[in-house]
This record gives sequence, structure tokens and C-alpha cells, in this order.
Amino acid sequence: MSRFFATGSDSESEESSSADEITPKAPGTTFKQSLLLSDDEEDTKRVVRSAKDKRFEELTNLIKTIRNAMKIRDMAKCLEEFEQLCRAFLKSKNIVDKEGVPSFYIRLLADLEDYLNQLWEDKEGKKKMNKNNAKALSTLRQKIRKYNRDYETEIAAYKENPQESADEEEEKEPEDSGSSSDSDGDGGDEGVSSKSFLKKKPEAASEASKFLKSAKGSGDESSSSDDDDDDEDWGSDTVDSGSESSDEGEGRSASLAVVFLKKTQDSDKPSEKKLGKKKKPKKKERLEEEAEEEGGEEVEGGWEKVKGGVPLVKEKPKMFAKGTEINTAVVVKKLNEILQARGKKGTDRAAQIELLHALAAIAAENNLGQGILVKIKFNIIASLYDYNPNLAAFMKPDMWKKCLDCIDELLDILFDNNNHIFIGENIAEDSENLAISDQPFRVRGCVLTLVERMDEEFTKIMQNTDPHSQEYVDNLKDEGRVCGIVDRLLAYMENKGSTEEICRIYLRRIMHTYYKFDYKAHRRSLGLQGESKSEQDQEESEGEDSAVIMDRLCKFIYAKDRTDRIRTCAILCHIYHHALHSRWYQARDLMLMSHLQDNIQHADPPVQILYNRTMVQLGICAFRQGMIKDAHNALLDIQSSGRAKELLGQGLLMRNMQERNAEQEKIEKRRQVPFHMHINLELLECVYLVSAMLLEIPYMAAHEFDARRRMISKQFHHQLRVGERQPLLGPPESMREHVVAASKAMKMGDWRTCHSFIINEKMNSKVWDLFPETQRVREMLVRKIQEESLRTYLFTYSSVYDSISMETLSEMFELEIPTVHSIISKMIINEELMASLDQPTQTVVMHRTEPTSLQNMALQLAEKLGSLVENNERVFDLKQGVYGGYFNRDQKGGYQQKQSYQRGTLNQKGGYQQKQGGYQRGGYRNQNQSNY
Amino acid sequence: LPVSLPKVVLKIIKHYQEEGQGSEVVQGVLLGLVVDDRLEITNCFPFPQHTEDDADFDEVQYQMEMMRSLRHVNIDHLHVGWYQSTYYGSFVSRALLDSQFSYQHAIEESVVLIYDPIKTAQGSLSLKAYRLTPKLMEICKEKDFTPEGLKKANIGFEHMFEEVPIVIKNSHLISVLMWELEDKSTVADKHELLNLSSSNHLEKSLQLLMDRVDDMSQDIVKYNTYSRNLSKQQQQKHQYLQRRQQENAQRQSRGEPPLPEEDITKMFKPPQPPPRMDTLLIAGQINNYCQNVKEFTSQNLGKLFMAEALQGHN
Repeated sequence: MSRFFATGSDSESEESSSADEITPKAPGTTFKQSLLLSDDEEDTKRVVRSAKDKRFEELTNLIKTIRNAMKIRDMAKCLEEFEQLCRAFLKSKNIVDKEGVPSFYIRLLADLEDYLNQLWEDKEGKKKMNKNNAKALSTLRQKIRKYNRDYETEIAAYKENPQESADEEEEKEPEDSGSSSDSDGDGGDEGVSSKSFLKKKPEAASEASKFLKSAKGSGDESSSSDDDDDDEDWGSDTVDSGSESSDEGEGRSASLAVVFLKKTQDSDKPSEKKLGKKKKPKKKERLEEEAEEEGGEEVEGGWEKVKGGVPLVKEKPKMFAKGTEINTAVVVKKLNEILQARGKKGTDRAAQIELLHALAAIAAENNLGQGILVKIKFNIIASLYDYNPNLAAFMKPDMWKKCLDCIDELLDILFDNNNHIFIGENIAEDSENLAISDQPFRVRGCVLTLVERMDEEFTKIMQNTDPHSQEYVDNLKDEGRVCGIVDRLLAYMENKGSTEEICRIYLRRIMHTYYKFDYKAHRRSLGLQGESKSEQDQEESEGEDSAVIMDRLCKFIYAKDRTDRIRTCAILCHIYHHALHSRWYQARDLMLMSHLQDNIQHADPPVQILYNRTMVQLGICAFRQGMIKDAHNALLDIQSSGRAKELLGQGLLMRNMQERNAEQEKIEKRRQVPFHMHINLELLECVYLVSAMLLEIPYMAAHEFDARRRMISKQFHHQLRVGERQPLLGPPESMREHVVAASKAMKMGDWRTCHSFIINEKMNSKVWDLFPETQRVREMLVRKIQEESLRTYLFTYSSVYDSISMETLSEMFELEIPTVHSIISKMIINEELMASLDQPTQTVVMHRTEPTSLQNMALQLAEKLGSLVENNERVFDLKQGVYGGYFNRDQKGGYQQKQSYQRGTLNQKGGYQQKQGGYQRGGYRNQNQSNY
Repeated sequence: LPVSLPKVVLKIIKHYQEEGQGSEVVQGVLLGLVVDDRLEITNCFPFPQHTEDDADFDEVQYQMEMMRSLRHVNIDHLHVGWYQSTYYGSFVSRALLDSQFSYQHAIEESVVLIYDPIKTAQGSLSLKAYRLTPKLMEICKEKDFTPEGLKKANIGFEHMFEEVPIVIKNSHLISVLMWELEDKSTVADKHELLNLSSSNHLEKSLQLLMDRVDDMSQDIVKYNTYSRNLSKQQQQKHQYLQRRQQENAQRQSRGEPPLPEEDITKMFKPPQPPPRMDTLLIAGQINNYCQNVKEFTSQNLGKLFMAEALQGHN
């Protein structure tokens, strides 16, 4: 790092900090100023409008940098900055037009030109310059000449009377500071520094040879002005040291802290902070002198020494000099000091954490009370979170452990001193009560946020660990601790927190519960079935069921939550949990009552992922309960897209880069659900395909000749087609092949083969064993296969039977006669099967009612003619010039269709009823003719 | 009134039997002469079946050659039209229209004979002669198949073709032979036309009818989009003109010269109107199918009633 750069950036940060400050304070000063100095030209410039203010701040910053560069004769830098300045000035053009050219700008132009001329004439100096600088010098000189031509009059005016404008400035500053005490910090700062510059400049202009010296002098001056400023800074720090990340004097105080630390180390004198600060100017002077020769060592050296000091920090007394009375105030100051370095470039975060730990130890050692300890802990945890600058990166295991420990300790403290410590985000820094006294401690900070953050970190860690490694298992073991912490905090919050906070922590708890299957409760419910109720109650009271917990937490959230998001998440988790534990009706009712399906598309992606997970779980639950249709419907959306993996947040699909750039990919990666929460995709697909098979095969058989039959499940058909395209049909290997093979068997009504394809060793290990109640599901499945095979068989082969005995059927499909009877009756009622039951002989008598192919054809023709007529009518509409007309007509047409549909059913009794569609068209046409 | 000799009919049938199978179509040239107000078709010869490998086969050359040869053996060699077989009555097509037009254009009295082998196989000879109506001739001459052109000509699908009655005149000797043959033939041969099975024929007809209906729908949709586009454009044009007028009025009031008139037709190119002839042809074809089906079903119904009565009688 070059010394020049270092100084440049230093002053820049200084300036920017004051710039940040001036904006909010401006309105207060504006009013008074305009009253006091309304006719002053300088003042009109000073009238603060935020745009103007910003522009001018920018300009002054650049000017400062240029002046610094001038001081050190860095022409290259000077040129660069000057170009920037010109650009910035151009940008603020419209403001300048309004306000006139700011005098400080003119001043710089004049000074710069003078300075350049001097340098130009100083031949010797020029020779010494390196090539870059010399080149920059000549360029800059030409540039400024050209540029200054535009401002000749102003510059001339300034040169005539340089003091006046400077005085104006000076005059203004005191008034400024007088007018509002708030602004004096930065205002004074600016005033002083500009003064010093002004004083220095004429000097520099007159005596070029002494420039170096004067630069030194100005360095001193500026450092002293810095010091003044620091005083104020410190003052403000003690007043509101709470604004941890306040921009104010950040850069400076960073270096200050560094300097201070270093000094405490190498100077073993008893040093109170005030003392140290008094020392500092001298110190700085000395440093500056050194810097003349060594160049740029100032900051660097400081840093190095601090780093060297870090291990020393372990020796606690070093933290505070020997003999210092360690009390709360001192520790707090120290803490603030350490914290000020937070978030800065080049801050050693690990060292910071160490320091904080050391401080905590000191505080504990000196019995400063729990309040301070809590405060320090808060900050340690925050620093731990800060350790990774990148949002996407995850914590290192040791950091994570430390973090967990810290939070645990923090919670310990909080629990131990339940009534003595108040914590909260909205306790102001100055109303904190950290000292040991009769009053309870008041500490600023929010445990909840910390724990939430911890939870997120945990998720991140899980996301970033290879799910098939031992490491993942190890990491997953921490889940217990995380849950423990959440639980403890929950207990704490229930006593202390606001409803809002309780909702938040409840949601955390829910998030850790909803996806886990409660084996204990499951076993209990199985085991206790025979036992008496009282025992059951007893058992339940021992350890709460996760279901009970979920219920309690969710209901609280439903009642109390005000943010929609938490409620939505809670509902979804609740449904998920119900579904997971096969409480289908509760889950379904909750889903329907919440009306989430209607507006879930407006939710943010993580909630949508949760919704998808819930729907899938719901579908699987329905399947387990034997509600094949419901299962299919629930899974349809997810499966039909073919992106189940992505929709469930369980992985990214390979896609080309045009659809998703790296940035999006990162975001999507962050949304992934950790592996241990994944829903088995193969299980999901299998459930979907099997339910599709159970629905689709009978349907296909029933509508074999129907030209307009629709597919129930596209995906299933796709699988079937893939199966057909196979050149060689070997025994099925994958899950899909099994389902396809089973479907083929089912098509023939061969339920035994179908059964053996769906339920066998392979499928058991792949899919069915993943269910908690494997046996029951399998039994249900067999039953369904038998029933649907029977239906398929009847659809397919009823045409070759005149009559068939139900006994035979029941033997064929191994179903009881009543079941067969009920299935056939249902089919007859639904007019799927044209037959009647002969009760005495227990036979089904088939009716021959299928239309011949000629009739089918006629129906198709009728349909086509219907569409032809419709098209024709549109042409007709156009001819009449009724543009929007046919939409209306369409509706009317629809109505007519309905009428004729009824008529069709009335007219066409008997076997053709399933073909109503065709007749409907015909009827439509007839009616049209009669209508027109 | 074309009069045709049985020789011609037999030759056509033979041609089909030998070469045409299924839905394939055979064609040939009719020869004959005009006597008074009759067109007598006295002879014919087939076009050879095209195959892929003799692409350089010259049809015109072949016809001339054929006619010259026939003249040598002193047979009527005047070209009076052509014949074509049909499959379930599907013959109204663009190809037929075009060739019949060129025939009729060159030789005023040309006819096209349509032979339906399937109907003939059912027991009654089906041979029909068609000519283009004078109106259609005019349209074809002008090649104007736009909707406007057809509208102006006021032509519907019913008026595209006119059927000309045919008389088949046997020589007396043949009549005698026929009588004798009829006496000899068994009863079963005569009752070919009483065949009750109908669904096959109907199915085929329906299938073809359906195809045509589909085509028709498509055409209508096409026409529909066209007319919508047209009206949209008309509106735009109208708006543009109005704007231009207003502007000019303003300019006039300001004393500036009016904007130059731009070529409006250039700015708004009217969309290409779809040719409507195809639609007409399809309509004609549909009409034809419908006639066929109607005829067939009425006959069949008669047969069915007869059969019922017979059954009742027995």
C-alpha cells in the first residue's frame, strides 16, 4: 500500500463520514442560516437541498484529495482526481447554474494553476520527478489552462482578494456551529481543515522551496484539527455509543483504536483513555516524521503491531493496564472500541472475536455482573455471524460450535437471572443498565434474532455439506442442540416476549418439528390401542406428542399472528405434519379452509416451496389412506411439470445459462431444502404413477372407442409410450418399468401379474418400505389393484360375455361376492357397464348396446359438422360487422348446447347415453336451424 | 345428349378392372363425333398407367400417336372428351376441373364420363357425363377465384357442373345376345342388387365425407381470418385517412401547403385473399357424397323394408 494512497483514502473516508452526517442535520441549520445570512452569496450556496448538498460534498471531497496529492507532489494522482472533479462538476451543472460557481471550486482552480506553474518552473524538481509524474504534470498543466479560461473572471476576482472569501468561510463556520449544536462536529471539522489549507496555500504559492516544510506543518495542523475532531467524536461516543455501526468517524476511530491499542501495549504507563488521547497528537507527530522517510509505514506499522499483540491479549491484564480499576464503564468503553472496528476492511475478525472473549473473561473475573456479560455475549455472537463476509458462505465447524456454546451460555445467564435482566431491541443504548445495582439489568439486543440467525446458519451448513458423508451426519447431530436452544428460548420468550416474538420463535420451533415423523407417538398409538384410556392419558402427559405441540403452537400463531407470512408457514407446516402422520381429513380440511391454493402464487419462493412440499405430503398421505383420486390430484401439479425436484427445493435442474444466470443460480441454491428434510422423489413419483395407473387403466378400457377421450395423466401416458418404444422388453428394473409392466398386466385384467409387479422385493426396498405403515399400505394397494382390475376386465371383455357369474368373478379376482356385487352395481348405476344383475342366479347379464362403428362414425361426423357450423357462423358475424358479436353468440350457443344436451338425453335413452356428446352437437345444429 | 356405344362402356369397365384397384383412378380419352344435337361417343382408349421410372413419357405424343393409328383403321378419331373412374363418388377435384376446362376450352363439346365401379359392382351400372357450366367456364377463363370474383359470377357449388343424360345404344345384334344371356343366367346372379349389407359402403362414404368436412372447416377458418384481417386493415386505413384530413385542414388554416398524398394502397397492402375455388369444389364434393349416401340409403331402406315384409310373410 503506497503511502500516498493510504493518506488519500484516509482523508476520503473522513470526508465521506462527515458528508453522511450533514445530510440529516441540514434541515435544522438551513432555516437559521437563511435568516442570518440571507444576502450572502456563500450562504445561498450553503442552503441545503439534498441534491445540491450531495454534489458539493462530492466536490469538496475531491478537492481535498487533490490538495493532499499536491502536498505530496503526486502528479499522477492529482491529474486523476482533477479529471474526476471536472466530471463531478459537470454533473452538478444544473445546481451550479442555479447557485453560481462555488467559491471553493474557484479557489482550487486558482491554487492548482499557481502550484503547477511553480512546479513547471522548478527545473530541478522536475528532473527528480519520475516519468509518470512528469508526464502527468504536463498534461495537467495544459488541462487546467484550458479549463481555467472559462472561469477567468472568477479566478481573477479570487486572486485579487483571496483572504476575503476565506474569511467568509471562517465567518460562517462559527455561526454555523452556534446555530445548531448538532452540526458543530462536522461543521467545525470542515471549517478548521479548510482554514488550515487556506493558510497553507498562499505560503506554498510563495515559497516553493519550502513546500515540504509547509506540508509538514499543514500535516501537523491537520492532525491537530483531526484531534479536535476526535474529541468531539469521543464525546458523541459517550453520549450515544449505542449506534454501533454509525458511520460517524468510523474510519478514523478504527485507526484510533489501533493506535490506542498499540500504545497501551508498548507504553506500559498507566493509561486511562483520556490520557492516551492526549498523548496521541505527539505520537502522531512522531509518526509523521518517520513517515517522511519511511513512507506509508504509519498505518501499516500500526496494524502489524496489533496483530502481534493479539496473542498477548490472552494475558488479561494487558487488556487494561495494570492497576486500572476495572468497572462496568471501562469495560463498556472497551467493548465499544473493539466493536468500532467491526465491518471494516482489514479488520481481523478472528482477532476481534478473541478480544471479545477475553473481555468477557475479564468481566466475569471481576464480577461485573451479568448485565455486562450478556452484552458482551451478544456482541460475540454477532461477530461470529460477521465472520463470513459472504452471505453464501457458511460457518466453519469450530465457529459454529463456538456460536452454539455462546448462545447456550447466554441462555444460561438469562435463565439464571430470569427477573433481573431485561433485554430487547428497543432498549436504547443510553438507557441500558449494566452496572450491578438494585435495579434489574437492562441490555440492548435481541436473543430471538440471534437464534433465528443461528438457525439459518445451521440450514446453510446443512446445505453446503455433502449429504452422503459422515460429516453430514455429524452436523446433523447438532440439530438436537439447535432444537434445544430453540426450545429454551421458547420457554424464555413465553414468559417475557411479546406476542410477535412468541410467534416468531414458535414458527422456528414448528419448522424444526413439522417434517419429523413422531415414532414415539406412532408406537404409542399402536401399542396402546387395547389399553384403557386413562393409561393413555397418563402416557401422553409424560412427553408431549409432536402433534400436540404442533397443534398448540400453530393455534397460537393462527390467533395471534399479524404478519401473514408466519401464519401461512404455520398452516403449511401443520398440514404437513398432519399428512405425515396420516391424519388425512384434518390435513385436507385445513388445506381447504386456509384457501392457500388460491393465492399461493403470490407468496415468496421459500413459502411456495413449503407449499409444494405440503401438497406432495398431502398426496402421499391420501395414497396411504387409499384415496387414490385425491392422491393423484394433489400430486398432479407437481409431477406434470416434470420439475418436481426444483419445485420441492431439492436440487437444481440442469438448464442452459440463458434461462438462469449465475446470480439466479446462487439465489436458487440458497433456497434449497437441506437433505434431511427431503421428500423421496422416487417414492413421490411411484405414488403418483401407481395412482395414475389405478385411475387411468379402467378409464382407458371404458373409453376405448371414444374419439374425444382425454388423458387423466399425461405423465403416465408418457411412461407407457416410453415402455412401448423399447425394442426389447426385459424384466423390469427401475420403478417406472415396474409400473409400466403392471399397467400392461392390468389392461388385460390380470391382477396377479399386476400385483407381482407392483409389490415385490425390489419395489419394497425402493418404495414401499419407506412408509411408516408399510404393511397396511401394501394391503390397501393389493385391494385397489384387485378392484380396478375387475373393472378393467369388465370394460374390456364385457362384449364377449352374454352373462357372467359373480362367483366366477369373485374367484378370479379373489374378492368377496358382496364387493364384486357392489362394484358392478356401481358401474351399472354410473352407466359405465350396460348390464343388469340377476339376483337369484348371481349373474351379470350383459346388454348389447355398444354402437357399431358406423354409428360411431356418424357421431363423429355430427360433431365435425357442428364445428363447421360454428365456424361458418363466425364468418357470418363478420359479414354483419358485429365484431365483438360472436363472443356473445358463443355464450348463447353454449346455453343452447346445454338445452339440446338435455333434449339429447331425453331423446336418446338407453345405450347411447354415454355418447351424449355427439348427439348434443346434432341437437345443437337442429336447434340452430329452427332458431334462425 | 351423348350417346355411347356399349363397346365404350365395356372398354372403360375393362380398363378399370385391369388397372384400377381400390382407390386408384384410371383415365382415358373418348373419341366420337357430333351428330345433330347429339354427341356420339364411339370409341375410347386408356391413358397408360404412369410409373415412376418412365418420367419422360410424353402424354400428348402418345395421344396423337394413338389417334393417328386409329384413323388408319378407319375409326372415329375426333377427340370428344375423356373418362375417369371414381372411388365412392369422389371426383370433384381441382384436377378434374382443370383438365375438363382445358378440354372444353379447346373442344367445345367435350364431356367427362365418370364411371363408378363400386356402384356398378352392386348391380347397377353407374356412368355419368358431366360438363362445366358456361358460368364456370368464364371464371376459369379469367382465373379469378377471389371471393369477389365468385360473388360477381354468382356461382354456387350446385351450378358448377351440369350433368348430361346418357343413352347407351346397343346394336340390335347385341340386344339379342343380351336377351339370350338373361334367359340363361341363374336367379342368384340377378339378385345381386338385393344385397342387404350396407354398413361397409356407408362407412366408407362417411369417412370420405368427414375428411371433406374437415377440409371445409379449415378453409372456413382461413377465410375467417382473412376477412377479419381485411376489416381490421380497413379500419386502420380509415383512421389514417381521417387523421390526414384533419392535419390538412389544420395546415390549411395555417396557410401551409397540404401534405402530399401518399399512395395509400402501398401503405396498406390488402391481405392475400384465399382462393375460394377449392372451397367451392369441396362443397361440390360434399354435395356429391350426400347425394350418394342419400340415394344409397333410400335404396337400402327399401330393401330392408322388403326383407322385413318377406320375413313377416314367411
